[in-house]
Amino acid sequence: MVEAVLRLGRGMALCALAVLPAGIAAADTLSDVLERGKLRCAVIEASPGFSSIDANGRRYGFDIDNCRTVAAAVLGDADAIEYVPINPNTAFTTLQSGGVDVFPGGATWTFLRDTSLGLDYTGTYLYAGQGFVVRHASGVSRIPDLEGATICVAQGTTNEQNLADYFRARRMKYSIVTFADVERGLNAYLADRCDAFTTEVFSLAGRIVALRNPEEHRILGDVISKEPFSGLVRQGDPRWRDIVFWAFNSRVAAEEFGLTMGNVEEMRATTEDAEIRRFLGVEGGFGRQLGLRNDWAYQIVAQVGNYGEVFGRHFEPLGLERGLNALWRDGGLMIAMPYR
Amino acid sequence: MGRRRSGGPGELVRKNSAFWLQCLLGLVLVALVFLVFRTTQSNLELLGVQSGFDFLWKKAGFSISQHLIPYTEDSPIWVALAVAILNTLLLAVFCIFLASLLGLFVGIGRLSSNWLVSRLSLAYLELFRNIPVLLQIFFWYYVALRALPSLESSIFITDYLVLNNRGLYFPFIEFANGFSISPPVPGRFAYEGGFYLMPEFLALWIGLSLYNGSYISEIVRSGFQSVARGQWEAGAALGLKPAAVLRRVAFPQALRAVLPPLTTVYMNMFKATSLAAAIAYPEIVSVFVGTVNNLAGRPVEVMAVSLAFYAGVSFLVAWLMGRWNKRVTLRGQ
Repeated sequence: MVEAVLRLGRGMALCALAVLPAGIAAADTLSDVLERGKLRCAVIEASPGFSSIDANGRRYGFDIDNCRTVAAAVLGDADAIEYVPINPNTAFTTLQSGGVDVFPGGATWTFLRDTSLGLDYTGTYLYAGQGFVVRHASGVSRIPDLEGATICVAQGTTNEQNLADYFRARRMKYSIVTFADVERGLNAYLADRCDAFTTEVFSLAGRIVALRNPEEHRILGDVISKEPFSGLVRQGDPRWRDIVFWAFNSRVAAEEFGLTMGNVEEMRATTEDAEIRRFLGVEGGFGRQLGLRNDWAYQIVAQVGNYGEVFGRHFEPLGLERGLNALWRDGGLMIAMPYR
Repeated sequence: MGRRRSGGPGELVRKNSAFWLQCLLGLVLVALVFLVFRTTQSNLELLGVQSGFDFLWKKAGFSISQHLIPYTEDSPIWVALAVAILNTLLLAVFCIFLASLLGLFVGIGRLSSNWLVSRLSLAYLELFRNIPVLLQIFFWYYVALRALPSLESSIFITDYLVLNNRGLYFPFIEFANGFSISPPVPGRFAYEGGFYLMPEFLALWIGLSLYNGSYISEIVRSGFQSVARGQWEAGAALGLKPAAVLRRVAFPQALRAVLPPLTTVYMNMFKATSLAAAIAYPEIVSVFVGTVNNLAGRPVEVMAVSLAFYAGVSFLVAWLMGRWNKRVTLRGQ
């Protein structure tokens, strides 16, 4: 049913495209958000680790913290957000047609999406890869063991094509069952419709941990793709793209600087480091360069935390390690652009 | 519209003005569609979204588990579209057949003088008509899937007809080297060779048929009830057995009342096959609106092709049923 409603919504978004007067080019998302006083943020619901709702009805997760990061930077209040639930199928259209200001989660940065969708990527904030979960009882321990297997996958993701590319390149037979979303695909796997379920490892780990008997399943050690996740905004609004990019960058920078939710207040008062002073808005007027308040980055660190804190909060409880997402000086790929 | 033999000059004028009015309306419609198309196109351009149908000739790059024509990941997207359309039609034809059969038997069952038969028919009708069809599909899919045995404990209906939670397997003609019949044989993960109906197909087939069969049974029942009592009596008076009266006398007359509402049910059933997208059966909505749209990023074109397909087939069904209706109507007069 939800599916039908979402599809309907998407159809209506398309109708809106047909009747919208010309003049969308002069987009100014920042003014819209400031005027509204709330950031409209697209979230994929019920994806443990990325986006969940707790017993008190509060949203939390890695994607949610991405929304909060942008809201803290732009509005000074990490909670000034209107969440718009979407699924992978409706994400791009919702963003194109102006239904949300930013889609901060779950989209792999690919050439075709970047060049043909009328959307801009705002910088990689998570390096993932596509993995497989199988039942222990199946005796599968490596991906090549899946020759001839039936594999469930969610559609509207890069996973479907990665799967085809990987098996075809190795001349391995397989059969694919494609579901509208990860939830349904995983349910079918659990009902033994498939021998394996595949998606990107971070969300896979989150979902397996949440199962009633996670010990019956194993996530294979290898991945078959690289999935650099990046936020998305509409094309043609360079200032807004800069804001989202630098907001995400700020969390990585904060970790490099050694700033945390706990010490940022004190550091702002005491630090002598010129870059940190510019970063926190003590000097330099960097916030105003973006059309924001000068304490924009301070608000991010104080309300959401640095990259390591956010990662640790949501992914470490799922048993996931930093890996590629560690800071560059720790052997990972996370590197903040300099504040100068 | 009745057919009129006479036609004076006055009528000619009326016919003429009606013709021009229709032309005008047609032109307005075309202009409107063109306007919407142009606005959409320029808006998409402003948004930086690419448009056009060239993506249909690009390599698909994804796999489809059920294809009635040869298809691989290297095939162009238009072949994937053809596969999806054939899958949609296959499902629709199976559903229309089974639902009609069910409707016919249950409809006649409702009229039976046997208390048990008529009550059972009523129970079926009330149960399946009053539950949303999407829920019924989910029920058949997830409940049945969990109830079906795994590969190791497959059910052998006959030696070559195998049922497990991967589908219903049966032998099929193989075209590889001339003709041969390939039976399903167990592999490491599933049966291989032969042909199989996916559990998704089975769930949709059963779900849609049971649901729509309940509507058809009402149409059949009212159709038979519309046949004048005297006709049944006359048939009996001729010495025909009740079954023969039903088949030879009542059925042809009931058909006239049945066909128009039946057309509506058939069309609804055809469109309802799009619910398949909810459970991973690769029909047009799933393959095209789902996968291809995300690959190609052409929502307007993808929607246009899908809408055109549904509209086209719906018109075709209506036209065919209309012709059939005309035939039985004329014969009856």
